[in-house]
Amino acid sequence: MAYVIAQPCVDIKDKACLDECPVDCIYEGPRKMYIQPDECVDCGACEPVCPVEAVFYEDDLPEAFSEYRVADREVFDGLGLPGGSRDHAPLAADHAVVDAVPVPSRT
Amino acid sequence: MSESLLNLVPKAEAVQTMKDFKSDQEVRWCPGCGDYAVLAAVQGFMPELGLAKENIVFVSGIGCSSRFPYYMNTYGMHSIHGRAPAIATGLATSRRDLSVWVVTGDGDALSIGGNHLIHALRRNVNLKILLFNNRIYGLTKGQYSPTSEVGKITKSTPMGSLDAPFNPVSLAIGAEATFVARTVDSDRKHLTEVLRRAAEHDGTALVEIYQNCNIFNDGAFEALKDKDQAKEAVIRLEHGQPIRFGAKNDKGVVRDPATGDLQVVTVTPDNEDRILVHDAHTPSPTTAFALSRLADPDTLHHTPIGVFRSVERPVYDTLMADQLDHAVEQHGKSDLTALLTGNDTWSVAG
Amino acid sequence: MSVDHEVRRLDRVIIRFAGDSGDGMQLTGDRFTSETASFGNDLSTLPNFPAEIRAPAGTLPGVSSFQLHFADHDILTPGDAPDVLVAMNPAALKANIADVPRGGEIIVNTDEFAKRAMAKVGYATSPLEDGSLDGYRVHPVPLTTLTIEALKEFGLSRKEAERSKNMFALGLLSWMYHRPTEGTEAFLRSKFAKKPQIAEANVAAFRAGWNFGETTEDFAVSYEVAPATRAFPAGTYRNISGNLALSYGLIAAATQAGLPLYLGSYPITPASDILHELSRHKNFGVRTFQAEDEIAGIGAALGAAFGGSLAVTTTSGPGVALKSETIGLAVSLELPLLVVDIQRGGPSTGLPTKTEQADLLQAMYGRNGEAPLPVVAPKTPADCFDAALEAARIALTYRTPVFLLSDGYLANGSEPWRIPETGSLPDLTTAFATGPNHTLADGTEVFWPYKRDPETLARPWAVPGTPGLEHRIGGIEKQDGTGNISYDPANHDLMVRTRQAKIDGITVPDLEVDDPDGADTLVLGWGSTYGPITAAVRRVRREGGHIAQAHLRHLNPFPKNLGEVLARYGKVVVPEMNLGQLATLVRAQYLVDARSHTQVNGMPFKAEQLAAALKEAIDE
Repeated sequence: MAYVIAQPCVDIKDKACLDECPVDCIYEGPRKMYIQPDECVDCGACEPVCPVEAVFYEDDLPEAFSEYRVADREVFDGLGLPGGSRDHAPLAADHAVVDAVPVPSRT
Repeated sequence: MSESLLNLVPKAEAVQTMKDFKSDQEVRWCPGCGDYAVLAAVQGFMPELGLAKENIVFVSGIGCSSRFPYYMNTYGMHSIHGRAPAIATGLATSRRDLSVWVVTGDGDALSIGGNHLIHALRRNVNLKILLFNNRIYGLTKGQYSPTSEVGKITKSTPMGSLDAPFNPVSLAIGAEATFVARTVDSDRKHLTEVLRRAAEHDGTALVEIYQNCNIFNDGAFEALKDKDQAKEAVIRLEHGQPIRFGAKNDKGVVRDPATGDLQVVTVTPDNEDRILVHDAHTPSPTTAFALSRLADPDTLHHTPIGVFRSVERPVYDTLMADQLDHAVEQHGKSDLTALLTGNDTWSVAG
Repeated sequence: MSVDHEVRRLDRVIIRFAGDSGDGMQLTGDRFTSETASFGNDLSTLPNFPAEIRAPAGTLPGVSSFQLHFADHDILTPGDAPDVLVAMNPAALKANIADVPRGGEIIVNTDEFAKRAMAKVGYATSPLEDGSLDGYRVHPVPLTTLTIEALKEFGLSRKEAERSKNMFALGLLSWMYHRPTEGTEAFLRSKFAKKPQIAEANVAAFRAGWNFGETTEDFAVSYEVAPATRAFPAGTYRNISGNLALSYGLIAAATQAGLPLYLGSYPITPASDILHELSRHKNFGVRTFQAEDEIAGIGAALGAAFGGSLAVTTTSGPGVALKSETIGLAVSLELPLLVVDIQRGGPSTGLPTKTEQADLLQAMYGRNGEAPLPVVAPKTPADCFDAALEAARIALTYRTPVFLLSDGYLANGSEPWRIPETGSLPDLTTAFATGPNHTLADGTEVFWPYKRDPETLARPWAVPGTPGLEHRIGGIEKQDGTGNISYDPANHDLMVRTRQAKIDGITVPDLEVDDPDGADTLVLGWGSTYGPITAAVRRVRREGGHIAQAHLRHLNPFPKNLGEVLARYGKVVVPEMNLGQLATLVRAQYLVDARSHTQVNGMPFKAEQLAAALKEAIDE
């Protein structure tokens, strides 16, 4: 079980969650924040501080965002347990699910 | 070396995962509490032990951390304030086929239950004690604790607390503990390694876990967690290794030849060979105690983490069981009739 | 030289040995008791000693005594007043003389009646010479000198030789009452096996005392008290104290339950003997844990109970106070646990070595919240054995802590005990839970730690190590059935009432009433007052009075017929060694105008005084 960051975060990346996470399991991607599901301890600190309500407990993830469960897991493929975001560089690439989100047009 | 007492505990028949150790109860600590991290680390570590989970028991007292047993899918008892070591002692000494863990906090273990803690340690009962130290009373909503720094402003000490804190590691070493370690909630890898060493230890293992209370004492251990500060503040103890730390690994611990005390120095080619090599297995507790005194209780600078002391000493449960066996050898198996009759009887004819 | 002695037959005698704490009076009394028991008399004893281990020598607070009542018929108490007082020094005489009726015999150790020793206890002139003992039959015996004289060949120092003077006194009394001597000699040789010289010196002093009686004209008369053959049913007997009987009862209960016995305890007078005794029987698989304090004592016991032991904690009143919170936890966890309270004088430290029954309400109500638990009280020293088995039966059957309320008088007093056939002991076999006990709506089989037996309301006892039954219990209110934490108001109401119903529903035997004459007055007692009350009732009836007697072993729940019994009598008298605690319970529960007769002087009731109080009630 873990918390998952869903679509509302894309291109927002407020990072309030980053300050709250006691185990530093939230990593920054180019367009979205990601929770490392095996490092997450389910404490829920990130959920209420998100200004755009992007953080959901895995079981409570709305149907519309269900692919973000996979996204937050797969984005760490090959990275193993990075051991905390404090000492970790931002992820080089987003997950394909995020890539597929249209970049909002500037008006 | 005698056979590990872990061998008395039945092994799991199948491979276990972290999920096997999660109970069906919803975890109810405050969001962001350090207890979540410890719970996850313990649940993640348990499969590695490979013990039948029905032979694992978690016993706790009262306090936030003492809710822990409810979340472990093992046997468990959430008892009363301070008494978990006593209750666990009865269980461990009567059931050597169990792996008995105590979960307690700084108030539970060091204030109301201080007596039970020190006596469990001196007896060396086969218990693994996880002492969650957040330096505050959380469940009663924010009074200072026996590990709070002097001058702590809390609801019960609006002008600052007056009493000097306990250093749990110093206390445990003074109480004849055979295994004493310290770790930090957010450092999963270190925490897991310390749990591993504690589980392997025969006798009482005391693990102090610095745990953040993000509601009433947020950031109490920030000096040890912040990327930049931590390198200067934390001394990672590793058995057999020179005790060095610092961003450039340029700090070291040496013994002052005049006082015998330990001090932190900047490592130079002149003093490099004087840097203390950590020996957790040395029978004398002197150096382990001195290490426990290095940290400044206010700033936490120079806080050693890791295993301070891990030595072999006869385990109370084993000695108790041996006496039972010995009594059978000496007096034969129990004979209730002979006991009740005694040596001095007379008969009355009907 | 032998003197012609007259031998008189008596039906009963009360002897009191009194001396300084260091004089060995308890040992002397114990030995005389053993000789008397093996001779076949019925007997009852009352040791009475100071709380101080060694109060200043020769002072009144330092006096230690041992009273023994023995007879050729069945007796119930250690006796009201001694027929014979052995006073080893002026303090012992002064402290005990008031209890000896005029005409009684007094054997005094004249060697100790020096001016200074007498002045220490307020004798301006020697009571041996000033006529103040004229009404008594005084035997002045230089016990110390005679003992030293008898031991001069042993090469002991004067001080060492003097120590055997209690054995000299024992030898003299043994001669006076025709007691067998082999047992004491064997006892001394075994007790001092590592110091054979001391053993032989004591034997020599003992024999010298016997010979002194045989050859001295002052002791012209000796006495015979025939064995009490008719008082006892056929069987093999031994003498037993309450604490020893209780210890054996615990071991027997564990054996009968097929469970290991676990004692968690902290030393406290007058309960420590049980810790000592159980510690000697590790070959029965008995684990004894001397804890760091009273709280840890019961904590360890509760932990062992969770693990499947027959768990016990032993203490006295002040210890019960400390254990209260853990007893409450045991009530909430619904685990079997025996809490043995050997009551002593209170409040606070009170009178550690004296008896009292003032913990009844503490046992009943001394916890936070509604925390009911069963209370069982033995009535005689030997009955402590059966009471321990009964307490264990209730604890194991109903999965509850049980109070066993003994007291200092029962603990240290002794009486003959017919040794039970082990085959006749109750079967206390208890089954642990082994599998799921509940089926969810979706058909899943689960284990619910608080699903109860519909008849006893007991919850299953699932011990760690049982696969599939992993569960968590605690002191927080639990949901009915699942045992999960629950703060639901209706559930709490249900759980409080269910725990109460479980205790109320415990099956206990009906109260038996002894009422040969159809009396209008009932005397109702509990615990250790059985002996004195029964003796008092006999006196009343001998003098033509009509009185009914009933004695409670179960204080919670009360026997189902108690209300009906009480309603049959116009007057109910409740004698207690407190200020009316059972009377309070009875009045509250049955609206009966029970009248208290109370005494809190640290000593058991005297039959004569109690009889007078009963007569007064009858005649009112």
